[in-house]
Amino acid sequence: MFDFSVITQWIDQLLRGVMPDAAATVVECVIIGLCLLLGYSVIALALIYVERKVCAWFQCRLGPNRVGPFGVLQSVADMIKMLIKEIIEIKHVDKFLFGLAPYIVIVASVAAFACLPFAKGLQVLDFNVGIFFLIAVSSIGIVGILLAGWASNNKYSLIGAMRSGAQMISYELSIGLSILTMVVLSGTLQISELVEGQADGWLLFKGHVPALIAFVIYLVAGTAETNRGPFDLPEADSELTAGYHTEYSGMHFGFFYLAEYLNLFIVAGVATTLFLGGWMPLHVPGWEGFNQVMDYIPSIFWFFGKVGVMIFVIMWFKWTFPRLRIDQLLRLEWKYLLPINLLNLLLMVIVVVYELHF
Amino acid sequence: MNKVIRYLVNFARGLRSLLVGMRATLRVFFRKKTTECYPENRKTLTMFDRFRGELVMLHDDQNHHKCTACGICEMNCPNSTIRITSEMVTDEAGKKKKVLTEYRYDHGSCLFCQLCVRTCAQQALGFLPTFEHAVFTRGKLIHKLNREGSSLAPKPVAAESPTA
Amino acid sequence: MMMLKDKIVARMPEVRVEEGASLLTLVTPPEQYRALALFLRDDEEARFDFMVCMTGMDWGDSLGVVLLLESTALGHRVYVQTGTPERDEPLLPTVSDLWETANLNEREVYDFFGIRFAGHPDTRRLFLRNDWVGHPLRKDYNADGLVNPVRLESDETPDDTRSFLSGGGEETRSLFDDEEYVVNIGPQHPATHGVLRFRVALEGEIVKKVDVHCGYIHRGIEKMCESLTYPQMLPLADRLDYLAAHQHRHALCLCVEEALQVEVPERAMYIRTIMDELNRLSSHLLFWSTLCMDLGALTAFFYGFRDREKVLDIMEETTGGRLIQHYNVIGGVTADIHPNFTRRIKEFIKYLPPMLKEYNEVFTGNVIAQQRMMGVGVLSQEDAISYGVTGPSGRASGWACDVRKRRPYGVYDKVDFKEIVHAEGDSFHRYLVRVEEIVESLHILEQLVDNIPPGEFAVKTKPVIKLPEGRYFKSVEGSRGEFGVYIESRGEKTPYRLKFRSTSFPLVSVVPLLARGSKIADLIAIGGTLDYIVPDVDR
Repeated sequence: MFDFSVITQWIDQLLRGVMPDAAATVVECVIIGLCLLLGYSVIALALIYVERKVCAWFQCRLGPNRVGPFGVLQSVADMIKMLIKEIIEIKHVDKFLFGLAPYIVIVASVAAFACLPFAKGLQVLDFNVGIFFLIAVSSIGIVGILLAGWASNNKYSLIGAMRSGAQMISYELSIGLSILTMVVLSGTLQISELVEGQADGWLLFKGHVPALIAFVIYLVAGTAETNRGPFDLPEADSELTAGYHTEYSGMHFGFFYLAEYLNLFIVAGVATTLFLGGWMPLHVPGWEGFNQVMDYIPSIFWFFGKVGVMIFVIMWFKWTFPRLRIDQLLRLEWKYLLPINLLNLLLMVIVVVYELHF
Repeated sequence: MNKVIRYLVNFARGLRSLLVGMRATLRVFFRKKTTECYPENRKTLTMFDRFRGELVMLHDDQNHHKCTACGICEMNCPNSTIRITSEMVTDEAGKKKKVLTEYRYDHGSCLFCQLCVRTCAQQALGFLPTFEHAVFTRGKLIHKLNREGSSLAPKPVAAESPTA
Repeated sequence: MMMLKDKIVARMPEVRVEEGASLLTLVTPPEQYRALALFLRDDEEARFDFMVCMTGMDWGDSLGVVLLLESTALGHRVYVQTGTPERDEPLLPTVSDLWETANLNEREVYDFFGIRFAGHPDTRRLFLRNDWVGHPLRKDYNADGLVNPVRLESDETPDDTRSFLSGGGEETRSLFDDEEYVVNIGPQHPATHGVLRFRVALEGEIVKKVDVHCGYIHRGIEKMCESLTYPQMLPLADRLDYLAAHQHRHALCLCVEEALQVEVPERAMYIRTIMDELNRLSSHLLFWSTLCMDLGALTAFFYGFRDREKVLDIMEETTGGRLIQHYNVIGGVTADIHPNFTRRIKEFIKYLPPMLKEYNEVFTGNVIAQQRMMGVGVLSQEDAISYGVTGPSGRASGWACDVRKRRPYGVYDKVDFKEIVHAEGDSFHRYLVRVEEIVESLHILEQLVDNIPPGEFAVKTKPVIKLPEGRYFKSVEGSRGEFGVYIESRGEKTPYRLKFRSTSFPLVSVVPLLARGSKIADLIAIGGTLDYIVPDVDR
């Protein structure tokens, strides 16, 4: 299987050959940053297109079909429109916080994005508490949303932001616990080791029942974390028009929009990494020929393929279900998901201690 | 214990209803789509023949219409959409007759209630099933319905002789 | 009824009893008005618990109101009329504490006629701006554009309201406290389905008070009708509730036909009934779609619209109109049915049931949807009657109020159909009634479509239609309740006064009651399941 570290190391050596070490590090940081941002925006554009197509197909429509073949350039056109739109100055807002909020949201999601292992040897941030770091930075986004709601000086926005706060804090618990369950199984917090450990079988299969429960809970809580339907209460368009980003225009709105889609990608990426083996190909013990064929498919395709399936499932949720009410949303978390999650963690510990897993 | 069972049953039932919903939407996902691609299907797109798109004055191939400028349509129109201007003309026999000079119709304020068409004793008016009426200014919605140089159709007896 | 008449005459000698063409009219001086109203509501033989319609009147020499009361238990109806010659500061006693629906209706009368109601808790204009000069439905109203020019500055919304006291004088009270978090929902809001405005006092997510503001799409249709001939006003009836255009026009035609005593050919009656049901189908399908959208299920919205399009196609082929058909005329219908009509309907009857199954899978059975609607906005039967909430919303509260059953018109007496009634009165059952009514409508169509008798589709009417002097009321079952037309004629070719008993007006008036104490999201669910149409509220 092709290892992307060959390329990264080659670039590293090339740079160190022509300049001092310190300068090389700076240049590498800049390159990596640029690559991340580029990847970030390209993925966001692709996701916007995919979402619109998928949503249309669920609704017996055709979806975007005017700009470019099959409308593939639609989201590019949208991006251009968004970029050239005026950022409207609103009276009575806290200008500094109002301007700051979208950046906090976007920074949080870029930081989380950087943790994902895209392919073998293609990972920016990898250290011993990687998954912990990921949970931590992805929660920063909520600060941006709360700020946006508060600084807008708009009643709808404020209600949206408050809902968002309650929702994120609650569902963070479920995400954390279900990730913890998988950490118990794999025995490591480092993302690269998590993936390597799944070479002989994905954690979802290894951990059977408790892993499956954790997977379902993670999916539900992850959908809630990204404020997507059926948990899109913070922006519930039929109740609060657009919730916390009602007052935003132009690229400021664009940041929220991008971050929403990237958060969807991150949630799907983490699910892939934790449960579906990350970039590991599908191996079935005993089927040597099959396994070899699978190995020929490059790891980056494995990762994006699995993420794509996860994203489709989350979109499927959104385009099927009605929205929950705030108290039902909290009840689902505190009365159903949390107790199940705690029991599941116990179950997983038992499974690991008595080595009942595969 | 009963409570626990109810909790579990409710949970399972709820989950099942969600999955049933997902199955239904997935079926539609693979079904034929119903969107009509409008400007592309212009050739095949026809409205029902009773559809009321705009009011027209019916003209025959000799540029004759049947309007006698009696003004009953103008009187009946609930929204003052129709304005008729006519002049008195003395014909060869020396009889004074009202002749239509202009039939103005404001498409923008028409209710399409059909009162003009239904009350017209001469059946001089009709509706066309056209539908692409968008224009940039309201003034363009005011149409003159009698064609340039058109005139009142002669009485049926007289009308038959030139064609025969 | 005769016994009741004698009883009233004996009890209240001041009350004059006039016998009209169909109903009694009790004319009372304002001093006896409240006593008579109380008697009519509470007496064992009267039991008029449902106020169908309240019409403000300007008779020239006096200003007053005409109530149409109905007893839901006994089924009889009566007019009550009262008036005062005072024109500058006319004062009548209120009945808003006897029938809740009178609350908003009296505000409407105040707005249009300037009649004040002593004891009414909230005397504000309802439809017009606060700085409007004069009361437009009075016969001496100055309609000059200079008196009420198009004002470009926005209308301030005062937080105070006043009520007039019976002894003279007035008192002011505040609608909202300073501490209350008041949010405007509407007039531009995705879930109000038009330009309706609620001022909502919130405590966190919980709704404490709702103040309804109407009039953003008030077009003065009743005023316009006073200067139009009967055939000319038909297209305006279509534009009240645009989702029940055919039914509303049907009511107006029925009322004029009854006054003229025109016999409508049987074929026309069949066609009208079929069209009514098609209209109901399209309206309920749209209700289903928009409710799903309000509750966040966007996909379901498209399914409903996809199928509604097919109903509209059937109607368009025959009538030439999709939303607003202009099909009924006085004496029949404008054109005979299209040759494809019956075939298309039969195809549709086969097409819809599998789709309904899909609807139920996606939405009705969905646990989230059920949780969102069950037990939300419970309307008791007493409140439904008192507020005059008819139609599917009233039937969900256990009130069998279907006009098609109570006072059959068209050929509803010849078809076999079930009146869907549920006792629970919550949002989910309001929803369920409509879904089940879709099935019933298909059932009605199935019985009618093959049996359209041959014959004329319309009778000839005189070119100039003049209604004989008198008052006429006729109602039909619109898609969202009883739609009535009240005409007071003085024998001219235009009506002296024409009043539409709106179906959506009572639905809006009941929102503050239902929403109190529920969440913001519930307010949306309540609004969605009540299914009001704003142009019908504002008229």
